[in-house]
Amino acid sequence: MAERLYRAVPADALRIVPLDDFTLIFHRPSGLSHLVTAPAPEILELLEQGPLTRAALLARLGERFELADASVEALDARLGELVATGLVEAA
Amino acid sequence: MTDQSSDQPGEERGGTTRRRALMLGAVGASAVVSIRPALAQTQASVINCEIPVPDAGRAGSYIAADGSIVPAGTPGAFPPASLAFKGEDVKTALAGGQLPGTTYEQNQAYVKYIRRLQSGTSGFTCFASLQMPRG
Repeated sequence: MAERLYRAVPADALRIVPLDDFTLIFHRPSGLSHLVTAPAPEILELLEQGPLTRAALLARLGERFELADASVEALDARLGELVATGLVEAA
Repeated sequence: MTDQSSDQPGEERGGTTRRRALMLGAVGASAVVSIRPALAQTQASVINCEIPVPDAGRAGSYIAADGSIVPAGTPGAFPPASLAFKGEDVKTALAGGQLPGTTYEQNQAYVKYIRRLQSGTSGFTCFASLQMPRG
């Protein structure tokens, strides 16, 4: 089975406002706002550059950040949340 | 101006990269809190709001066929509704439906009363919100 590709919704569908420890993301198509904390904005930022598999995303995060708790399960949980909000699409 | 950018995490300095620490978090934790649009909350409150007939300040009075409030026992007028009507019921009635537990004439009188609600009477805010266009 081919690995799923995760892609962020187009950047122009979002209005992203950093608020200290939080980031407020307004999703224009749904009219929903989401208050997110790390690592959600970082994941979104990477996926905005192009679709990635879970493994590739974890590798990119590892290149950019010091991942103290890199685990596929945790990344799955975060991706699941982003997919549920409609900010990320899984294909 | 001092150069504060050298303290920024993730910046390359002198050939070394200082990477910012990032926690992916626990499986059961959540990094996302979603806020429903104000309109959705308005719709929820419309369905849950109530309109007493007549309003609490004149509880016990009767409602005449033209929707006016008349003294209890007035011939031809209708006794007050035993329970306040739900916003959703009123919405249906305003669209031509019937309020629960009413006869045809009683419903007509109650709907006329509700249409005549003024700011300051209980149920007015609920009635006003029912008039608001939905997105």
